[in-house]
Amino acid sequence: MVFYTPFCEPRPIRLCEETRRFAWESLQGKYGDEARTYSAVSLDHIPGFSELSEVEKYNIAIAEIAKNAPVRICKEEKVCGSATLGGAIDHVVPAFYQGRPVFRSVSHLTLNFATVLKRGVNALENDIIERSKDDTLTDAQKATLDSFQKAIAAMRVYHKRYLQAAKTAKPEAYQALLRVPFAPPRTFFEAVQSLWFTFSFVRLCGNWPGLGRIDEMLGGYLEKDLARGTLTIDEAREILAGFFIKGCEWIQSSPVPGSGDAQHYQNIILGGTNENGEDVTNEVSYLVLDVVEELAISDFPITVRVNSKMPRRFLERVAQVMRHGGGIVAVYNEDLVLQALERIGYDKKEALSFANDGCWEVQIPGKTNFHYVPFDSLRILLNDTLRLNTDSPAHFESIESLYIAFRKNLKNTVDKICADAIKEFADFCEHPEKGVCSVISVFEQDCIQRAKGYQNGGTVYRVVSPHIGGAPDVGNSLLAIQKLVFEEKKVSFDDLMRILQNNWEGAEALRLYALNHYTYYGNDDDEADAYTTRVIDDFGDMVEAWQGKSPIIFTGGVSTFGRQIEWAPFRLATPFGKRKGDILSGNDSPTPGTDTEGATAMIRSYCKADLKKMGTGAALDVKLAPGTLKGENGVAALVALIEGFCRLGGYFMQLDVVDAKTLKRAQENPEAYKTLSVRVSGWNARFVTLDREWQNMIIERTEKNSL
Amino acid sequence: MSAALVTKIQRFSTHDGDGVRTVVFLKGCPLDCKWCHNPETKKAENQLYYVNRLCIGCGACRAACGQDAHAFLPDGRHIYRPEQCALCMKCVSVCPAKAMESVAQVMTAEQIMEIVLRDKPFYGENGGLTLSGGEPLIHADLCVELLERAKKLGMTTAIETSGYASREAVRRVAPLTDCFLWDIKDTDPVRHKENTGADNRLILENLKIADSLGAKTVLRCIVLKGVNAEPAHFRAVSGIYHSLQYCAGVELLPYHTYGGSKREQLDGFDDGNKAWIPAEADLALARDILTENGVPVL
Repeated sequence: MVFYTPFCEPRPIRLCEETRRFAWESLQGKYGDEARTYSAVSLDHIPGFSELSEVEKYNIAIAEIAKNAPVRICKEEKVCGSATLGGAIDHVVPAFYQGRPVFRSVSHLTLNFATVLKRGVNALENDIIERSKDDTLTDAQKATLDSFQKAIAAMRVYHKRYLQAAKTAKPEAYQALLRVPFAPPRTFFEAVQSLWFTFSFVRLCGNWPGLGRIDEMLGGYLEKDLARGTLTIDEAREILAGFFIKGCEWIQSSPVPGSGDAQHYQNIILGGTNENGEDVTNEVSYLVLDVVEELAISDFPITVRVNSKMPRRFLERVAQVMRHGGGIVAVYNEDLVLQALERIGYDKKEALSFANDGCWEVQIPGKTNFHYVPFDSLRILLNDTLRLNTDSPAHFESIESLYIAFRKNLKNTVDKICADAIKEFADFCEHPEKGVCSVISVFEQDCIQRAKGYQNGGTVYRVVSPHIGGAPDVGNSLLAIQKLVFEEKKVSFDDLMRILQNNWEGAEALRLYALNHYTYYGNDDDEADAYTTRVIDDFGDMVEAWQGKSPIIFTGGVSTFGRQIEWAPFRLATPFGKRKGDILSGNDSPTPGTDTEGATAMIRSYCKADLKKMGTGAALDVKLAPGTLKGENGVAALVALIEGFCRLGGYFMQLDVVDAKTLKRAQENPEAYKTLSVRVSGWNARFVTLDREWQNMIIERTEKNSL
Repeated sequence: MSAALVTKIQRFSTHDGDGVRTVVFLKGCPLDCKWCHNPETKKAENQLYYVNRLCIGCGACRAACGQDAHAFLPDGRHIYRPEQCALCMKCVSVCPAKAMESVAQVMTAEQIMEIVLRDKPFYGENGGLTLSGGEPLIHADLCVELLERAKKLGMTTAIETSGYASREAVRRVAPLTDCFLWDIKDTDPVRHKENTGADNRLILENLKIADSLGAKTVLRCIVLKGVNAEPAHFRAVSGIYHSLQYCAGVELLPYHTYGGSKREQLDGFDDGNKAWIPAEADLALARDILTENGVPVL
């Protein structure tokens, strides 16, 4: 039972053997496999199901799930509740009609769990009842409120079934469940049980929400228990570990390889400033780090809001956990994120409550309907601007005229995304039967008050964020054209276009020259970085121009997540020497193989763009070799790297510690490396669940870094 | 303004002093250690790296070369003739595949500091500049200039040295150096001479001088199986440690053969000696003796 680490020292042991074994079995896929044996409840027996309205169908689906989903209480578990239906792992509502899912589920949001703890679910139900008394409600609003109430009723059904099962099997959890989540918790244990039960019910219905600021939500309960002497810190760690282990219940032993299974957007935020301007770091923050450090659980990707007020000890703990690899902990530069949020119109107090959406895009939890639209900017350059996919490629007389043409096409893309978003949102607001998801809506602020669903204008904010991908590849392409064609005149513009159309066939010397003789984005070379920076800055302005034209908040973001792999087969050869099908830049990181100057240079290059314009975020992925982080100086170096990142105006950085040799061994012998996780693009995944292409890309990038 | 041949400026180094550091490797070394792991820094003059496996046979180097240093066999294989090479580096600028590369660049203090300063946001309170090589102290003027500038800008400074330099150089840099990483390659004078080509007396004298000027030192001891991995050596190292007032302790550096690929690119053969790689038991022995003798092993 060894929890994998690339670091020279083993992971520390603080939890009891039973808890460790429970974690081990969950991570090996015991409960995920079990979930796969029961994919969904059936709706086939519902008379006239296909004739029902969307809302009625949804209400029945949720009720059937609550009534029939298997109840599971594990011997070792601390808190009860489970998302036991395999269909939920596929991001659908696991209630099938004639063998097929009826509703997609919801992700990319963080629910208002803080309110569930503070007020209890009963209070939300009372709000619904109160609101329903209004005679001016439309029929649609009445149906919406009725659906909200039915969602809570279904939750109560599922809760009752757990109460029955827990009564003898788990007396402690039973006692807690007699109260929570319907009434507010009084103790740390009740609070963790309340949070877990609510989260697991929402997940059972197929949704993948993030958790938000877990330390801020739970810290007060723990503090009181510790002060009263009713709980020790070791007991608290065991309880919290129970929560984290339960969160691994969707891990399967042999999943279909893809872009990674180890996360379902169940992100957690630690630290940061609260609405009163105080740093929230508390004992829970430290316990969360203890748990993931020991158990290597990567299923709740953690992001720390780093600010200058944060206790030094906490940042050092973050660095110590990071050294064990897995990419489990990432960082936001809080100051810059707050500036970005204020820039798009949030008031300062509201901005301070930011969390992520379950992935790394920033939002205000429990108040935001968020939607991002990714696109490939390299395609805009190579296809739309240079027309390399046609018989008549374009010709430009200068790099500036090429850039201006590119920018125009980029603007067309952004404008179309934003205009479509406005139309789509208006359509959903006018048609409350679209996108019904009451299990989500009841936990989003204002939906009850407005008697509107999460997708239908019920939330406080609607945010749409076009996300640019491939910006570094565009920057590098422009630099290479400038050098090869206009400065060094190694090749004419038209000949270069023909060469690219031929995928560099017959021009190997020129290809290698382009690849080897110029410095590209990611090496802290001001000339090279200027191209990528300009693309990102201009993109930010284009999105901002849509602010104020509709109720939607528009702001940009820089991401690819895993799309650089999906895009690869359709991308054309690039002027900087990459061939068709090569895997190019991920997120806002340098194109693989073009960065040679190490982590600090990469961070500096990334920070040259004005990232305040990227309201939902811009991600940088940094991989470090374990050897660079040995000893006390290794922790100090990581802390310095994070602080430098913040000082220079970075937004979001995911640091991973990996060594290529281990990854290769894991590729050959996946059975032995089931607990090895790596940071991918915006999340982390267990290495063995990635398909071969993904694995090779990570190995290639890692090898470069360990030189 | 002083200048020197710089083989590399390594950013985000975490091994050569405290915190995050930028290490400047200066070319040229008066010693000739058989185990040198930075062979490209030995010679005082510039050299050419040549990696045959990268060659694509395009012939650009031959066309650019005025000295007949590049030739191609009838089967297309590339031959590089170092004895013909005038180190004009024309081939380097035309070779698309980077099969040829200049080992070093002449850089002024100004140019070096421009790069060192880029990582200032990452240095915090402990990080900063480390001078290494080669033997940095043979470029005393440049060292003094770089150290002075770094100090003025609030960085910490470190020098990695063999200690085989003029007493004058040591006296000049010591007041500007927060920490010396001081190589103790061997304590047996005969073996030292045999394996490095030089006597170790000057090295130890200089170490005393640095210490007498109040400079903090860390003794860096390479461990070579069959050469110095023996109790007498580590007892002698302990003696040196105790003779110093400001020495922080000893770092053990197990010999490795990573320098081999670089040697191959310089001279066409890798003469690394695997037999020198110490076993874990050799390192444990060294640690035990040092610890028994009250020496902190870092």
